[in-house]
Amino acid sequence: MKCFVMGLDSAPPELLFNEFIEELPNIRKILENSIYGPMRSCIPAITIPAWMCMATGKTPGELGLYGFRHRKESSYTDIWIAHSMKIKEKAIWDYIGKKGLKSILVGVPPTYPPRKVNGYLVSCFITPDSSVNYTYPSTLKNEIEKVAGDYIFDVVFRKDERDKLIEEVWDMTEKRFEVIRYLLQEKEWDYFEFVEIGLDRIHHAFWKYFDEEHHLYEEGKYRNVIRDYYRLLDKEIGKIVNLLDENTAISIVSDHGVKRMKGAFAINQWLIQEGYMKVRNPEILSSFCRFEQLDVDWSRTVAWAWGGYYSRIFLNVKGREKKGIIKKTEYESVRDELKDAICSIKGENGEKWDTKVFYPEDIYPVAKGDKPDMMVYLDNLYWRAAGTLGYESNYLPENDTGPDDAVHSEYGVFSLKLPESNSGRTEISIYDFAPLILNLMGLKEEAVKLRGENELRNLVNWS
Amino acid sequence: MEKDYKTVNIPSDLYEKIEERLEGAGFDTVSEYVTYVLREVLSSLEEEDEEVFTEEEEEKVKERLRALGYLD
Repeated sequence: MKCFVMGLDSAPPELLFNEFIEELPNIRKILENSIYGPMRSCIPAITIPAWMCMATGKTPGELGLYGFRHRKESSYTDIWIAHSMKIKEKAIWDYIGKKGLKSILVGVPPTYPPRKVNGYLVSCFITPDSSVNYTYPSTLKNEIEKVAGDYIFDVVFRKDERDKLIEEVWDMTEKRFEVIRYLLQEKEWDYFEFVEIGLDRIHHAFWKYFDEEHHLYEEGKYRNVIRDYYRLLDKEIGKIVNLLDENTAISIVSDHGVKRMKGAFAINQWLIQEGYMKVRNPEILSSFCRFEQLDVDWSRTVAWAWGGYYSRIFLNVKGREKKGIIKKTEYESVRDELKDAICSIKGENGEKWDTKVFYPEDIYPVAKGDKPDMMVYLDNLYWRAAGTLGYESNYLPENDTGPDDAVHSEYGVFSLKLPESNSGRTEISIYDFAPLILNLMGLKEEAVKLRGENELRNLVNWS
Repeated sequence: MEKDYKTVNIPSDLYEKIEERLEGAGFDTVSEYVTYVLREVLSSLEEEDEEVFTEEEEEKVKERLRALGYLD
């Protein structure tokens, strides 16, 4: 059976299935004939690694991918950026390619640099720019440029020129769908997957104009931008459906959901206040500074953190870090103590937070690669972590590095429309997706194997 | 110290093709030839893994990811 997968980065069940559905006739028609429901993301619920968890059926630990950046071995400062060559596990297209089935992939993160696939590939938003080779085969790039002109991989949303941003996102998305329609009509394929990143950018940039519960809610002309973007997606999806034959399975998925951001918490500043980190140039903390500007006294530092939608905490371990001080025998007790301290962080007005702390080796069957010692969801992701410092308060009402109104949530969406009519509600985990598709495409053995292993992958629940 | 070896199988026709090339390539045995080629292939794969972005590209990507809030 042919499968067409539409990836809408960060689409939450609340908006796609409920709030906007009456205004999305094409998506509604698909859902009416689909099994659909929320899809629980991986931990961390971040674009990289989530799309690859979905495509491989493996956890971030098995992939050795915990986000966009990783530190090089145990360095304090050197990092590497995630890219396609770091994916060592087989994805849906690798399995089916071996059976001679063809795939077309557009924008699945991370697929830059473009790797060989039995079919065609246009890389994702990790691509530096359109001057590099971003397709497989490389000759496909010329065709893309004929169809769409200068192809757009991403937009930068954290800026104040909102009108310009709207224009850029619309332009990017319309071009992408043009390319998608071209490929689906002109090329041979059995499996087609695209990821549209524009939705995530629109959510982050316009959430406070849309969500009345947002602490910075602003009424005004941007109120309907998010809604209008969903309508754009619906229109484009409608055009695609018209081009698909009735025997093609159609799936709509997202890598995680989205919800309002309550603020950003200056986690490194907190670590200093609590005595876990010592700096030799404290005067720098009188105004905004980045972690890299600190002169950290590693001989007296227990832990430091990275910010982002979730926070990664690293311990300064003897024999592992260059100037490590925590003895291996004390590692567990120090980590547990810090975990308790983080879990006891309260809101600015003393309100209780639902903070979650995960140890990588506890939540995956195996934790490969450059993993952090702890992964932290401050108030269950409602609060971003700011790695930057120099604030009067640890509680920042706005993001530390440019406007951003939304954070991630744990449930994305899943729907599957099969040629034979069936419909209903379900709830699945992101790890169920690959075995489901492999099964549909006739790779039963591979599907059974992945599904069997899923008992281990789905052990950890959010609550 | 003597090296440890393992046996792998390759198709006979491939073996014969390699044999024909030995002299021109300056190898004494097929095993030497195959070992050399495989080492080359593997090291080029490793290089590929390490140097995906040029310095300039990496800065560009980091800058964008920072602006998107992934590197705060």
